[in-house]
Amino acid sequence: MGVNLQVNVGGLIMKNPVTVASGTFAYGQEYDQYFDIAQLGAVTVKSLSIQPRAGNRPPRLVETPAGMLNAIGLQNVGIDAYLRDKLPYLREKGCTIIGNIYGHAPEEYAELARRLEAENGADAIEANLSCPNVHDARTVRGGALVAQAPERVAEYTRAIKAATKLPVFVKLTPNIIDIVEPALAAQEAGADGVALINTLLGMGINPETRRPILRNIVGGLSGPAIRPVALKMVWDAAKHLRIPIIGMGGICSAADAMQFILAGATAVAVGSYSFRQPDAALRVIQGLEAYCQRHQVEDIRQLIGAMEA
Amino acid sequence: MPYIADCRITTHQEVAPEHYRLVVHAPQLAKEAQPGQFCMLQVREGHYPFLRRPMSIERIFADGVSFLYKVVGEGTRMLSGMSQGQMLNVQGPLGKPFPRESGFDRYIITAGGIGIAPFPALADALKRELGKAPEVIIAARTERFLLCEKDFRQMGCKVHFATDDGSAGEKAFASEVLKRLSPAAGTVVYACGPMPMMKATHAVCAAAGAVCYASLEAEMACGDGVCLGCVVEANVEVETERMVRVCKDGPVFDTQLIQWESY
Ligand SMILES: Cc1cc2nc3c(=O)[nH]c(=O)nc-3n(C[C@H](O)[C@H](O)[C@H](O)COP(=O)(O)OP(=O)(O)OC[C@H]3O[C@@H](n4cnc5c(N)ncnc54)[C@H](O)[C@@H]3O)c2cc1C
Ligand SMILES: Cc1cc2nc3c(=O)[nH]c(=O)nc-3n(C[C@H](O)[C@H](O)[C@H](O)COP(=O)(O)O)c2cc1C
Ligand code: FES
Repeated sequence: MGVNLQVNVGGLIMKNPVTVASGTFAYGQEYDQYFDIAQLGAVTVKSLSIQPRAGNRPPRLVETPAGMLNAIGLQNVGIDAYLRDKLPYLREKGCTIIGNIYGHAPEEYAELARRLEAENGADAIEANLSCPNVHDARTVRGGALVAQAPERVAEYTRAIKAATKLPVFVKLTPNIIDIVEPALAAQEAGADGVALINTLLGMGINPETRRPILRNIVGGLSGPAIRPVALKMVWDAAKHLRIPIIGMGGICSAADAMQFILAGATAVAVGSYSFRQPDAALRVIQGLEAYCQRHQVEDIRQLIGAMEA
Repeated sequence: MPYIADCRITTHQEVAPEHYRLVVHAPQLAKEAQPGQFCMLQVREGHYPFLRRPMSIERIFADGVSFLYKVVGEGTRMLSGMSQGQMLNVQGPLGKPFPRESGFDRYIITAGGIGIAPFPALADALKRELGKAPEVIIAARTERFLLCEKDFRQMGCKVHFATDDGSAGEKAFASEVLKRLSPAAGTVVYACGPMPMMKATHAVCAAAGAVCYASLEAEMACGDGVCLGCVVEANVEVETERMVRVCKDGPVFDTQLIQWESY
């Protein structure tokens, strides 16, 4: 039985619903050594900023039970080097590209989106409004992340939408009480989709030295440890949104991905698990197809939000 | 090019308390591996531990490679529980090897503790390719953790010992022994061990005008340049990037490239 895996995420056609999470796949080339990355529904690139960023001082990584904490701090090559050095490889391969962007103000996001569209640098924009590892984002108090304040989500989304015709996805943080508020704010401001979730704030202390394990003290938790939290947020958001959701958070297998689709995600992203298994996303694609065949589902879209209560 | 494969464990033995040598059958890996490169080992199926563990390649044989490791936590403890005949999932070879350039007057290896791991392969290659058996300084806490002596002697290397407690060789740090060997311009030093030891080794080499290559350690998630978690700070006067990745730009660095003040 032929199975349709193609999905339309707010105007972005993906040949299957599987992408990779920003920051866990660099700009694609490294993992192309292990499998043909053009098979992915889309490649989501590491957050791009206007200027290159060196990121936080090390140590900025530590393993945790069923996951990891990172405080990379958005180290990236910057938009110019991306367009010049990284993009040609992805385009030659024929990859569908989600350009993840990060800036300090709405104007910077708008500028990045404009450049990506003008120079064919992406097929959709994902605005990272939710990185916990930059400047004043250490505390939830006062809404240090844009994605913690619905009115700022709306303001940033409007600025980006005004700058580009590409589909715009807004990536939100789980470090909030009710995910529905910023998700609705994004939708009302014109977002074509939301990406849920970024990392959960966490930290570690070495009891012997009594010092924080990460130089930044606080970092973002990812991996299977956060999957139930992510799934619940996708389910919550799906009940209230018209626009599609890209679900992520600890996805390692097709069974994990199916949970997100059943909860209401139109597409999914494999994140930290690629570090352990570089071709994990490809295995998820194969597993989703096998799932559909086993359950005699001709079109994966029939399964979006199809959890039976 | 790195690849991932299930490799059969052909030998696994304890060589000192809590120290193991593990040999895997991996012909393709053996063909491509260079001294100083490492592999990411998946010590168990499932989600715990979540990440692979980086291990230097100790020896390169015709049909496989060996690792030499110390049990320090749960991952290495689980690894030590694997037995001969079992399959181990190995990703590699990864990272940049030790440069092996002819034309130096002296080749000296300086190893602290389990930092000895990448050096049997290096000494072997230097001997075969350049006809130079390096001098080797092996430093450890105490005598029974001085590893690989026989391997080096068989290659014709001159071996010096240093222990923290004086139970064998000099009661001194590796860097102090190195200093007494009077490295100079025309000497190349290869170092691996705890960060303070490599920092001291760099200082000795810099003062003597010797070239020094060190294999650094950092916590790693991907081992292949993707996550940017393993960086160390670079000396910006030498290197254009402020952060260099231990896994991809290293693990072997010319020590002038590293900003040692942070360690
Ligand atoms: C390039 C490279 C080569 C290495 N080669 C060897 C070798 O040949 N022999 C050997 O015994 N050890 C080697 N190490 C160190 C080895 O990877 C760690 O001792 C091991 O990962 C510890 O795992 P664990 O679960 O037992 O310890 P835990 O402390 O439980 O580990 C928890 C986490 O910390 C990381 N970690 C802990 N200590 C280190 C460390 N010193 N360096 C890097 N990551 C660490 C682990 O990978 C893991 O993610 C190497 C490290 C690197 C970066
Ligand atoms: C090392 C690392 C770097 C990341 N960098 C970014 C980033 O640059 N931009 C971004 O939007 N999200 C970033 N993330 C968050 C992931 O894209 C993803 O939202 C999160 O890790 C949850 O998915 P996972 O549990 O499958 O990893 C990063 C995550 C990790 C682990
Ligand atoms: S371990 Fe991921 S970049 Fe080095």
